[in-house]
Amino acid sequence: MVLVSHLLALGLYGLATAFAVAPFAGLRPAPRALTLGAPLAGAAVHVVGVAQLTPVGVAPVLSILALFLVLLQVVSERVFRASAVALFTGPLATGLVALALLIGLGPEARPVVGGGRWSLLHITISILGLALLALAFIAAALYLLQFRELKSKRFGQVFRLFPPLERLDRLNHLSLVMGFPTVTLGVLLGFGVRYAGGVPVDAAQIVWGMLTWLVLGWAVGVRVVRHWAGRRAAFASIAGFVAVVLVYLALKLAAPGTERFL
Amino acid sequence: MSIAVVGVNHRTAPLEVRERFAHAPREVPAALARVLSAGAGGGVLLSTCNRTEFYLAEPGDAIPATVWAMLTERLSEGRSASEYGYLVRDRDAVRHLYRVSAGLDSMILGESQIQGQVREAWETSRSQAGPVLHRLFQSALLVGARVRSETALAAGAASAPSAAVALAGKIFNRLAGRAALVLGAGVTLVANRTYERARAVAEELGARALTLDEAWEHFASADIVLTSTAAPHAVVTWERVAPAIGRRGGRPLCILDLAVPRDVEPAVGQLENVFLYDIDDLQAVAANAATERHHEVPAAERIVSDEVERFWAWYGGLAAVPVLKEFRGRLDDMRAAELERALKRLAHLSPEDRAQVEQFSHALLNKFLHHPTIALKQAAQAGRGYGLLESLKKLFGLERLDDT
Repeated sequence: MVLVSHLLALGLYGLATAFAVAPFAGLRPAPRALTLGAPLAGAAVHVVGVAQLTPVGVAPVLSILALFLVLLQVVSERVFRASAVALFTGPLATGLVALALLIGLGPEARPVVGGGRWSLLHITISILGLALLALAFIAAALYLLQFRELKSKRFGQVFRLFPPLERLDRLNHLSLVMGFPTVTLGVLLGFGVRYAGGVPVDAAQIVWGMLTWLVLGWAVGVRVVRHWAGRRAAFASIAGFVAVVLVYLALKLAAPGTERFL
Repeated sequence: MSIAVVGVNHRTAPLEVRERFAHAPREVPAALARVLSAGAGGGVLLSTCNRTEFYLAEPGDAIPATVWAMLTERLSEGRSASEYGYLVRDRDAVRHLYRVSAGLDSMILGESQIQGQVREAWETSRSQAGPVLHRLFQSALLVGARVRSETALAAGAASAPSAAVALAGKIFNRLAGRAALVLGAGVTLVANRTYERARAVAEELGARALTLDEAWEHFASADIVLTSTAAPHAVVTWERVAPAIGRRGGRPLCILDLAVPRDVEPAVGQLENVFLYDIDDLQAVAANAATERHHEVPAAERIVSDEVERFWAWYGGLAAVPVLKEFRGRLDDMRAAELERALKRLAHLSPEDRAQVEQFSHALLNKFLHHPTIALKQAAQAGRGYGLLESLKKLFGLERLDDT
């Protein structure tokens, strides 16, 4: 069931990606019912598969991250009319599910090592925070692309199909402002699980968790306290996200293996 | 049974002629009454800056001449309106109106203003339109709406003003409530090289007038700057506005320079978060949108063709009923006359036999008429009845139906 639902989700996310990319390839844009329906249908079957997973190891985390990205994509399109977000989230979610399948998803639910529900909550909330940081990165990247299009007076597909700069800036701002408390809660739950639940936690997990929290805190700080906006804020979001991903990869290279997330 | 369009448009007549043919709404009833008096079952006059067209139901032969004569009266000596015009009939007339309503026949492909103008024309001519044109104009509005919702024919900004709105709309989430600085003549703040002129325009628009020297400071707070002075050189220079723009704190500024020669120094566009566009840029956006719209034409034409067939099926069916009734009536009269003549010669027949002979004549007529009646009804329902009905009218002398 885990495998079937992930394969179905993979197909539907791939379809949603095709719908997102089609207008940029000069094809007629798909109706809104399809651009929203395909990822939502994918997310629905994905939830069925994710519900049976134990969020331990790289593959389940990638799968849950893909699910959150798709859900955030749908929200972005509905609330911000930012369908261009799917240009990033579509391939990203499809790639993450494919990678999770390649690494190998456990066919049955296994008990989480120690901590029980609190550990599960910590992992889920932390992944949601990471997805929000990714969304901030995507909004920032879209902002910079549209900015370049407008400055260079190209008026091509990016000009036509991307949302206005101000809306992308708001999406970036909102993602960071929502992402920071989410990651903070995730980190606090992690400490709770570690000290109150007695679950063993590696130093790498602590380092990466704290780094993500600090990066998000800094990105929110420069936006809210120092009133950065526009291009400068976009660069800050991109730099923060890239730092989080690079540090994860470095830590993972130091201790390879897919059994544990870190 | 016929529908016709007689008129001129932007392709057949220059502006100087079109503006003479334009009819204000108050002129429409009299103009239509004059045309209808030449023989037509109903009429609608569509008059816009790009076209003056009379849509007529059941038009008589004298109608085109009447329209041309009426329009020629508006021209100077020695010219005839017919030189600039066209006459389109039947299916092509229906197709013409549907294409007009969809924006396929507009100067700016896919523009949506025409939809409202078609509606206004129909409403203004309502009392003179008649049932066929009512149905035709209703369906034309539906076709226009269908084309705009099912294709991207109306997407993008295909004119310079709409390109300006599109450009500003790609920088700001919403344009409502934005602070605009207008240099030249024309919304929240108006600055002009002549203060008195600026004040007059500002009062008219409920804005505030500034001298040009006062305007530079407002580059720190305005969201959109529109410039259209008649200055022979750039008045918005880097030195004048860079300090104010530096205080904006990363907020974008959209400058639309509509003047030729340009009002804004290109160096201003190099400033961070400043988006400067001149008239060439606006035209480039408009041209891009127009190109995109051309890709949608085949899809829009398919919708128009489908709807023309649908309308014609209805119209053909509508016309078939009285023709068939007349046809049957005419043959029944012939049958009755011939029967009477035959029975006079067969006076020896008993009443029962006479009834048998009459019954036979009815049955024979019904047998003869059965297949043509069914075929005509089916052709009319499929939208192919018009030619058959015309033939029937000619072969059996039913033309008087047209007179009624």
